[in-house]
Amino acid sequence: MTTHIQQIRKSFGSFEALKSISLSIEKGEFIAILGPSGCGKTTLLRLIAGFDSPTDGEISIDGELAGAAHYSSPPEKRNIGMVFQSFALWPHLSVRKQVEFPIQHHPHASKEMKAHKEKRAEEVLKLVGLGHLADRMPNELSGGQKQRVALARALAHEPALLLMDEPLSSLDAELREDMRREIQTIHRMTGSSILYVTHDQGEALAMADRIVIMKDGRIEQIGAPEDIYLRPATPFVAGFVGKATMIEGTWTNDTFKPAAAPEVTWSGQGIHDSFRQDDMYPVRPDQWILTEDTQNGIPATITNVLYQGKDIHYTVKAANNQQISFIQPIHTRYQIGEQVTLAL
Amino acid sequence: MQHVTRGGSRPLSFFKSVKPSTLLLTIVVIFFFVLPVIRLFSLSFVDEGAVTLSNYSEMLQEARTWRMLENTAWMVLGSTFVAVILGLFFAWLIAYSDIRGKGLMQLFILIPFIIPSYIVTLSWTQLMGRNSFLADFLQFLPGDLEPVNLYSMGGMIFILGLSHFPLVYLFTVSVLRKIPRDLEWAARSSGASPGKVFAKVTLPLALPGLAGGGLLAFIANLDNFGIPAFLGIPAGIPVLSTAIYQEVVGFGPGAFSRAATLSVLLATVALLGTAIQWLLVRKSKQLETVQQDYSPRFSFGKKRLGVEIMVWLFLITLTIVPVISMLMSSLIRAYGLPFAAENLTLSHYVFVLAENDRVQGAILNSLMLAGVTTLVCLIVGTALAYVRTRKPTALNRTLELFVALPYALPGMVLALAMIFMWLQPIPGWNPGIYGTITILFIAYITRFMILQVRGSITAMAQVDPSMEEAAHIFGARPFVKWRRILFPLLLPGMLSGAFLVFLTALTELTVSSLLWSSGSETIGLVIFNFEQAGYSTYSTAFSTVIVTAILFTMLILYALQKAWKKKVKEA
Repeated sequence: MTTHIQQIRKSFGSFEALKSISLSIEKGEFIAILGPSGCGKTTLLRLIAGFDSPTDGEISIDGELAGAAHYSSPPEKRNIGMVFQSFALWPHLSVRKQVEFPIQHHPHASKEMKAHKEKRAEEVLKLVGLGHLADRMPNELSGGQKQRVALARALAHEPALLLMDEPLSSLDAELREDMRREIQTIHRMTGSSILYVTHDQGEALAMADRIVIMKDGRIEQIGAPEDIYLRPATPFVAGFVGKATMIEGTWTNDTFKPAAAPEVTWSGQGIHDSFRQDDMYPVRPDQWILTEDTQNGIPATITNVLYQGKDIHYTVKAANNQQISFIQPIHTRYQIGEQVTLAL
Repeated sequence: MQHVTRGGSRPLSFFKSVKPSTLLLTIVVIFFFVLPVIRLFSLSFVDEGAVTLSNYSEMLQEARTWRMLENTAWMVLGSTFVAVILGLFFAWLIAYSDIRGKGLMQLFILIPFIIPSYIVTLSWTQLMGRNSFLADFLQFLPGDLEPVNLYSMGGMIFILGLSHFPLVYLFTVSVLRKIPRDLEWAARSSGASPGKVFAKVTLPLALPGLAGGGLLAFIANLDNFGIPAFLGIPAGIPVLSTAIYQEVVGFGPGAFSRAATLSVLLATVALLGTAIQWLLVRKSKQLETVQQDYSPRFSFGKKRLGVEIMVWLFLITLTIVPVISMLMSSLIRAYGLPFAAENLTLSHYVFVLAENDRVQGAILNSLMLAGVTTLVCLIVGTALAYVRTRKPTALNRTLELFVALPYALPGMVLALAMIFMWLQPIPGWNPGIYGTITILFIAYITRFMILQVRGSITAMAQVDPSMEEAAHIFGARPFVKWRRILFPLLLPGMLSGAFLVFLTALTELTVSSLLWSSGSETIGLVIFNFEQAGYSTYSTAFSTVIVTAILFTMLILYALQKAWKKKVKEA
C-alpha cells in the first residue's frame, strides 16, 4: 500500500512545471506538500490522480504502474480518493448518494462493500459526524458540512491513497482549526495514506508526518515538521516556513560573525551548509532576545510596531541597513525610533 | 542513429496528431456547412460559363436595384433604431429600476420574439384593419381618425422593430446587471452627480454591449423575410430578401445568377455585421464581472405605481391587443362582417384543423421537420459542444465557426445556396434531393445546428470541470459518468437549446419559402399562402392555433425548469 514517484518530470510546451520529483508515501503516512502558488504542487497532485500523464518518470500506486512517459491509467482505475478544493459535490445527488457513488462504481471497492453499500455509506457518514444529514442536498449544507461530505465520499471505498487539494482554503479561519483536528482524527482512525497539498505552513506543520517543500517545480526539503521548522535546508525553506531573516555576515569554520556587529560570534551548530555558502545565517523572529549588553548583539532602530494581542511584531533596521523582524511579549513596549540590541 | 529516427518521426507524428475521426469530421463539416456558400458565391461570378463581374455591373446599372437597396437601408436602419430604443428602455427598467413584477414583465417583453414575426404581422394587420375594434373606436372619436396603413415602409419598420427589440433587451439587460455597482459608487464618492455617473461610467461601460445588441437586431432585420413579404410585397416595396425571393419564384432569364448576385450583397452585409458584433461582444466581456447584480439601483419613489400602470398598458398594447384582434378576426363568419354574436363561428378552426388536407399535411411536415432537426442537433450539437469545450484547439474553434455560418447567413441566402448545392451535390450527379422534403431536413439541420451547439456549450460552462473529475476519481466508467453525472447536470441547459431549435424550426418560413415542393409544405408556408390568396379568416385561425400551441409548450418548459431548479441549486 505504498505510492512511489520516481523522477517525475512534466512540461507544458517549453515550461517545465516539475523537474525530477521523487517521493515515496508509506502506508498510513500523512504527507503534506507545501509551497507557494505556481510551485508545481497541484500539477504533481493531478499527475498522481491521473488527470495528466508525466513527460518522464514513473508513478506506481499499491504496486501497480499508474503513470509513465506517455502512459496514464485512467483515474477511475486507480485506487485513490480525492477531496477537491471546491469540494466538487454533485448538485443533483443527496449526501447519501454522493457517498454511495464510489462504493457502487469504484473497481477497487470490495464485493462485500458493494453488497452492503447502504451500511458502508452510513458508517462513513457517522465517521465524519453527518449521519443525521444523509438525505440533504448539497445546497442545503453549510461550508463545513460540505467539506465533511467531500471527505466521506473520498474515504468511502477505502482507497490506498487519499489526495487532498487545499481542502480547507474555502473555509473561514475558525472552521479551518476545527477541520484540522477532524482530519487528523479521521487519519488516525482509518489509517489511510494521505497526500495533502497546501500553501498554508500552519496546516502542514500541524497535521503532517512529513512535509515536502516545493519551489519552482523542485523539492527543496523533505522532513518531519520539527526538522523543517528548526533546521531548514535552504534559505527558501527558512523564509517560507519559519519567516526567518537571513542575517548577512561571514563564516569562519563553524562560527558566524554578523556584518552589523563583527565582534559578535554565533555557533554554526544545526545550520545547513547552503547558508554557509551564501554567507548568511537564518534567524526566526521568535529566536531573538533583546539585551542591555550593547557589545553582545546587533544594534538596531525600531521602524515599525504591530500590536497582535498576545505579542508584538517589530521591524528594525540594523546598522548595515538590513531589515530584521522579531517578536516580543507585550509586557515591555518599544516605540518607533528607539535603539535596541538584538542577540541570540 | 538518433538523428535518423528524429528525421523520420516528424511526418509520422503529424499524421498521428490529426486522427482519422477528426479528419472525417472536418470533411463532413466543410461539405455540409461551407461548400453550399462557396458554390453560391462562385455562381454570382459566372455568366454563360465564363468568370466575370457582369452580373454585378448589369444589376448595379439598373435603377430599380438601387431603389430596392435604398428601401432595404431605410427599413433596416429605421427598424434597428426602433428596436434599440424599445430594448434599451425596457432593459434599464428591468435591470436598474425598482418596479415590481419583473418576472412577468420579462415574459411579456419576450412574446413578440417568441411568436413568429409573420404571425405578429398578421395580428397587427388585423388590429389596423377597417373592421377592427380599433377602427370602431377611432370612428367614435371626433375627427377623421383612421387606423394606420401598415402596408408601407413605416409599417415594416414598426413591426420589424417590435419583433426584434426583445433581442436588444435580452442582450442589454445582462450587460447592465454585470456593471459592478462599486464603480458607480466610486464615481459618486468622487463627487459625480447621478446623471454624471450614468454618462461617465455606466454608459461607456455598457456601450459595447449595447452596440452588440443593436447589431444583433440589425442582422435580424436584414435577414427577415416574413414581414417585408407580408407588408412590402402587396405595397410594392421590394427589399433584398423579398427581391431574391421574387427573382427565384419569377423564374425569369438568368434568375438564378441574379438571385445569387443579390444574395452575395445581402450575405456580405450580414456577415460583416456578425463579425463586428462578435468583436464588440468580446470587448464587452472584458469589462464584465461574472456576477449579475439583481437589486434595483434607481427608485421611482412615490411615482412607482403610476409608472407601473403606464408601462403595463404600453406593454399590453404592444403584445396582447393585436393577438386578441387576430383571435377576433378568426371567429368571424366572413371577412369584413362586424364582430357581433350572430356573425361568430368556429368553422374556420374546423376547416384548418379537420377539413383541409394541405394544412394537416403542413402540420405533420413541420412537426416531423422540427422533431428530427431537434433530435439530430441535440445529439450532434452536444457532441460538438463537448469536443469544443474540452479541447479548444484552433481546429475545433474553426469548425465551430463553420457550423455557425449557415445561421449567420440570411435565411433567403442559405435557401438559395442549398438549391445550388443539392441540385447536384457532386457536379454531374443529381440524386433527387432538391424538390423533396429531404432538402428541407438538410437545410434546417445545418441552419439550426449552431443554436444547439451554443446551448450545450453554455450548459457545459456552467458545470465545473471538477464535477467530471470527481466522477472519474470515484470510479465511474465513461457510460456511468454520462448517465449519472454529466447528463443530469447538462440536461436543463441542453433542453433550452433544443426547445429553441424546435420552436424556430416548427414555424420557419424564409428557408421553406424557396425550398418547398408540393407535398412538403410547412406551417409558415401555408399561413403565407392563405394570406397571399386573401383567406384572412383561415390564416388568422391557423395562426391562433400556432400561438396557443407555442405558449402552451413554453409554459410546460418553464414549469419543468422551475421544478428542476428547485431540486438542484449550485452546490
